[in-house]
Amino acid sequence: MQRPETASAVGIVHHRRKTAIAFPGARIALAGMRAPPATAPGGTVSDLILRDIVKRYGQRTVLKGVSHRFTAGLTLLTGPSGAGKSTLLRLVATAERPSAGQILWNGASLPGATKALRRRLGYAPQAADLPDDLTARECARHIAALKGLDRRQADAQFGAITDAIGLHADINGRIATFSGGMRRRLIFAQALLGDPQILALDEPTAELDPDTARRVCALILARAASAIVIMTTHLAGELAEAATESLRVEGQTLHRQTANAA
Amino acid sequence: MRTALSALTTAWLRYCRSWGLWALLVLTVIGARFMVARDDGSAIVIAVDHHLPVATAGMVGVSLGIVVSTLLLPAGFIYLRANTTRRQPWQIEEATAASRIAIGLGRFAADCAMFAIVLVALTLAGWFLAWIVVAPGRLDLWQVTYPLWLIAAPSLATLAALRLLCDALPWTRGALGETLFLIFWLASITASGGLAGRGTGVGANLRDFAGFARPLIYAAPPGDPDIAIGGAPVAPGRLELDVLAGVCSPGYIPSRLLWLAIAACIAIAAGVVYRPHRPRRTRRSSRLSAWLTPGAPPKANAAAPPAGPVGLPWLSVVLSHARLIFPGRVALGLAALAALAGLAGDNRHVASPACLLLLIFGLSAQAGRTEARGMQALLGTMPVAVWAGRAAFIAAGTCVSVVLAVPAMLGQGAAAPLALALATGAAASTLAAALAALGGSAVAPRLLLLILWYGYLSA
Repeated sequence: MQRPETASAVGIVHHRRKTAIAFPGARIALAGMRAPPATAPGGTVSDLILRDIVKRYGQRTVLKGVSHRFTAGLTLLTGPSGAGKSTLLRLVATAERPSAGQILWNGASLPGATKALRRRLGYAPQAADLPDDLTARECARHIAALKGLDRRQADAQFGAITDAIGLHADINGRIATFSGGMRRRLIFAQALLGDPQILALDEPTAELDPDTARRVCALILARAASAIVIMTTHLAGELAEAATESLRVEGQTLHRQTANAA
Repeated sequence: MRTALSALTTAWLRYCRSWGLWALLVLTVIGARFMVARDDGSAIVIAVDHHLPVATAGMVGVSLGIVVSTLLLPAGFIYLRANTTRRQPWQIEEATAASRIAIGLGRFAADCAMFAIVLVALTLAGWFLAWIVVAPGRLDLWQVTYPLWLIAAPSLATLAALRLLCDALPWTRGALGETLFLIFWLASITASGGLAGRGTGVGANLRDFAGFARPLIYAAPPGDPDIAIGGAPVAPGRLELDVLAGVCSPGYIPSRLLWLAIAACIAIAAGVVYRPHRPRRTRRSSRLSAWLTPGAPPKANAAAPPAGPVGLPWLSVVLSHARLIFPGRVALGLAALAALAGLAGDNRHVASPACLLLLIFGLSAQAGRTEARGMQALLGTMPVAVWAGRAAFIAAGTCVSVVLAVPAMLGQGAAAPLALALATGAAASTLAAALAALGGSAVAPRLLLLILWYGYLSA
């Protein structure tokens, strides 16, 4: 059954299999830099597959037998605190290795394909030891260099992203002076640099006021049109409507909650 | 290449904004002043065969090189580990495809550039000192400069590389890294001091990592020269030493260049062996590990009443610090063993140093935890003032030190072990609190206290 076109408070107009963003800053994620191809070099659609993933910390098993295929679109990861959402995201972001099981990026298995995945990855951890004595712009430039991005283009894109999320006026300020929400936005902004094909976002809207959270969500949805976006959140809210799928991490495994689109 | 360049410029920017660099520069220049001996030998001296050397331009350069080896290497290590570049966004960096070797080389270059600034400051200080102490006709600024740079630059480059190596591996990112550096530093000075005889060549000179021994030994009178650095008694009259001949002796300059190359190789190796920051893997259960790890918590009481105020809040802070100085059964077990050694006999050279060593690790870790920025923000909102909390920490450290000395007091009578425990405990706690408050981490108190502990053990 075709769903009627609706407009949510965030200005996201969604339709079955199609999401358009009415928010004015929504297109800037693609501005300033050339967007990467939506398909892998081999011509296949990019996908990330988890196969029987197990993750243990000592005696404690956090994830057990997790299998899933992530494709382009927004995947929300919800679940109680400590259930393993961030662990799953760190596994996807290659920040950790599974205790057992396989992660496949475009058909190639990790850790062999780790570098290939990292070249296409944008990762926003829940917290990062940001260098307090640098300005936001200097920090972003450094991370752009680590990602192998052109400095001028990365500068332009960083300006556009920060403008959209209300951080632009502060990008020449030292990170030491930033509030929790500003740090969170900086971590989010660096993840978007280079328009990565896979975005792993760990609670990017935490500590943000509702208006800024909406701006961040608009950018996330804009990226989800052409990339695999995996996002952990406790407050799915309006995003759940627009998400391709919503997964719940509980009892060491993944449970599919809703699916708006096949 | 771009990654290395970015790591270099970013780290350089951070150094330029660091108050710690200014502190290092001031320390270096002040240290330089005290390394030029007075005629009566009352200050720190460099003596060859119980005579002070004649103050020549070359000798001033070598003396400043000794400042680097004795003072700047540990201070520099503390600065690199505890100051501005301590915080790196590794959570993000480790998820990029950037080469760890390139990042490491960039940071290594920035560290070397920062140390070059320190050496420039030291050179300027050396010129000024030479202008004061060297006879007017013998003043040659170049002769101050090149011995200093030949001695100091390879040591400092190696220091920067060693810091990278320590930061590359999970188990050397903490206390073990500082301890290993201390061992390396002491071993390097000992190896340089043991460079007896006039054996030359690159191989023989390579042993002189600190770089100051060869110029002194080469210029010393024939025989087995007695070289003393520090508070040594000196005979009247000065000895003419041609230290520049030692600097230009066969194999010396190639050995210094080789140390530079070794430093670069260590920096590359740090990138190769780099291991990401990941949660520690705990070992599979055994009886010992089961005993060492805390078990399941007691059953929660949902109807527990709200916690009431304690009668003596400051005292409860003292007790809390005391518990956290030796947290866990391993630390307590080791402390008990060290304390029980006091029953055996030589308290001053066995039990007391053993207890003090454990106390240093416990104190510096607890001081680092307490003085961390986030923790200080929280402590600032507590009824017990921050300064009172620090006083409580010092009191707790002193009390723990006294408790550890109880077996020695029982074995040998109370007075001497008690006085020793009070003095060492109070001094270590005060230094740990002060240095952690300055640096905001456990690195500075740990390394400095370990150096002082080594002196205490050897005295």
